[in-house]
Amino acid sequence: MMKFYFALWLAKLMGIAIKLVSKGRGTNLPGEKALAIDPDFVKHFKNIDYSKVVFITGTNGKSSTTNLVTHILKQNGKKIVSNLEGANLLGGIATSLAKEASLLGKLKADYYIFETDERYLPLIYAQLPAENMLITNLQKDQVQRNGDPDFIIRKLKEVVNPRMTLILNNEEPRSRFFEEIAHRSIYYSVANHAESFTKGGDYPTQACPKCHHDLRFDYYNVDSIGAFACDFCGFASKSTPDYLVTELNFSDKTFKLKDVVFHMPYDLPFMFYNYAGALAVCDALCGITPAAAAGAFENFKNIGGRFEVLTYKNKTIKYMRIKQENPDTLQSALNIMASDKSKKMVALGLYVVNDFVPHYINTFYAFDCDFKPLVDSNVERYLCFSEHVAYDTANRLVYDGVSKEVITIMDSDNISEIFAEIDKAETDNIYLITWISTFEKMKKFIEGGQN
Amino acid sequence: MEQTIKVGWLFNNMFNLHGDRGNLLAIQAEAKRRGYQVEVTQINLDTETFNPLDFDFLFCPPGEIEHFEAVAAYLEPHRNELMAYIETRPMLVTGTTVALFGETIKRDDQSEIIGLGIIEIEARENHAVYGDDLYYTCQYNGKEMEMIGSQIQMIDLDIKEESPFGRLKYGYGNNGKTKFEGVISGKGIFTNTLGPVLVCNPWLTEEIINLIEVNKTWPVWDEHRDNSLELKSQKSKMVHINKKETRLKRISER
Repeated sequence: MMKFYFALWLAKLMGIAIKLVSKGRGTNLPGEKALAIDPDFVKHFKNIDYSKVVFITGTNGKSSTTNLVTHILKQNGKKIVSNLEGANLLGGIATSLAKEASLLGKLKADYYIFETDERYLPLIYAQLPAENMLITNLQKDQVQRNGDPDFIIRKLKEVVNPRMTLILNNEEPRSRFFEEIAHRSIYYSVANHAESFTKGGDYPTQACPKCHHDLRFDYYNVDSIGAFACDFCGFASKSTPDYLVTELNFSDKTFKLKDVVFHMPYDLPFMFYNYAGALAVCDALCGITPAAAAGAFENFKNIGGRFEVLTYKNKTIKYMRIKQENPDTLQSALNIMASDKSKKMVALGLYVVNDFVPHYINTFYAFDCDFKPLVDSNVERYLCFSEHVAYDTANRLVYDGVSKEVITIMDSDNISEIFAEIDKAETDNIYLITWISTFEKMKKFIEGGQN
Repeated sequence: MEQTIKVGWLFNNMFNLHGDRGNLLAIQAEAKRRGYQVEVTQINLDTETFNPLDFDFLFCPPGEIEHFEAVAAYLEPHRNELMAYIETRPMLVTGTTVALFGETIKRDDQSEIIGLGIIEIEARENHAVYGDDLYYTCQYNGKEMEMIGSQIQMIDLDIKEESPFGRLKYGYGNNGKTKFEGVISGKGIFTNTLGPVLVCNPWLTEEIINLIEVNKTWPVWDEHRDNSLELKSQKSKMVHINKKETRLKRISER
């Protein structure tokens, strides 16, 4: 145990030092260093009741859901340990536990809410055997490291066991597959709403995870998520899920769950499942009823959200962050743009994927997405920018009927040139999709006196 | 009467990993440019009658290995028809699904899946995924061409007596150890190339349609497509490839 204590004290000291140097900055370094000293560091903490530990995992929505669950529980007076500031790997969890533990490694919390990377879940679970897990969805994502969804499903199969309680997205077939293994499954869901959509018959769906036959989606609330059924084996989204978000009202920014009216802090369709999932965790696992949770929605601020607005000269730039190699987040962004029928300019900067060596070019996920509603939504001009990728991005638009004449192709990432193109637009309504670092540079450009 | 090209899209819902629908759009757009109608039939496990010879072009996209046994069982009765089909007619199989048309697939957990045996290749599932750009030369329907795209390699391929589809200039190709990319068997293209391959390389799409025209004894369209956008894209990608950091073995050392 001496190794553990030494690792814990070092992590605590490092945590304090980092906070002094850079207040508010999240880091995994203390946890990573502690794990280097004691590889079983997380396992050695005392007093953790694993029935009070909740993992929140999946492809999209795990950060927002973790944020919201933690916020609701804290607002209701619960003592929570969470990795909101750190990463969702073992190092991030180790950092959070070290920060909250006593000098002897004892923890005292009502609940432990951890966002967990789906790929590293087996490693995390080996040291922290949570008895509860929420799976947001399992989609095509980061194919350079994950390959295909089944690769991630196999990772989750190593962890999900008959002692677990799962909180599952009722309308996401791959997550629902795990109901067969778990001790208990709780289902959360979102009803059909004004921004639900369908896709043409030439857009593929997916195979039934139980029998391999084709799944049918009656509609989508978010890309790949919606009321589904397998006509061969009968596997389908449940008509009476445990937690159902209904009466989504975009003008009043309200919704209902179990007859309680909630303020809708973000009226973005991908957030609705996060609301439903968070309310399911709080009620079913933590005893905070929807009525008690409602107040927390009035002042919820999502950390690192995907939607930001900038003002540039007389123009409004609406930025939507998507995950590269992830068609579902791109489709959500396209749908948001398409729902705005006023004149607009669309700036698309898909990038060379540079998560690790080798960097490579991937825009193929854009062919999973339906651009047609955007194309039909009064777009004055498109700007396709980013080095080596701009031509492919433009070509995707051409394949959905956009004339080459209304596309500006910029084979570069030059911020001044991007703004020069934005200046040329007649409309003041600008939508921007690009990766976060380009957006940050654009923000600095505006703050640097170009506004 | 309008001339119609019949396309069979195999397991489009089950095999749907990398924007593969783009390949269909490319075929449709090029056929439409030449004034043809395109009829796309989706073939899935519930399709009661499937005869490959009813089609002018077959496309089988990449899929999860999890589903391979179900598809192999469905296609096995059509094995001979598929072999006859690719002798003269174009078929495109991309990504992981190439392995399904081979002899055996050894999985990472050491289990084995018996493939269709249409091409003589052995396949091994990799423990880790490898994703990278892909650049090679190939010949199809008598035309030499340079191909560009990307690959997400989950299965390594060893081609035995088969001919490679491409000769690598950059990339992992079949297994990272040889100069070969994919397999060509008759008019069947079995390639690791994603992108989608027919969108990024319209010169291949043109040759596929040229071949269909020959097969259907239609006159071969001689007005070429405007490929300037794709050529600029290819040139820019080659700049990226030439300056990128890589840990791949040089092609000349393979």
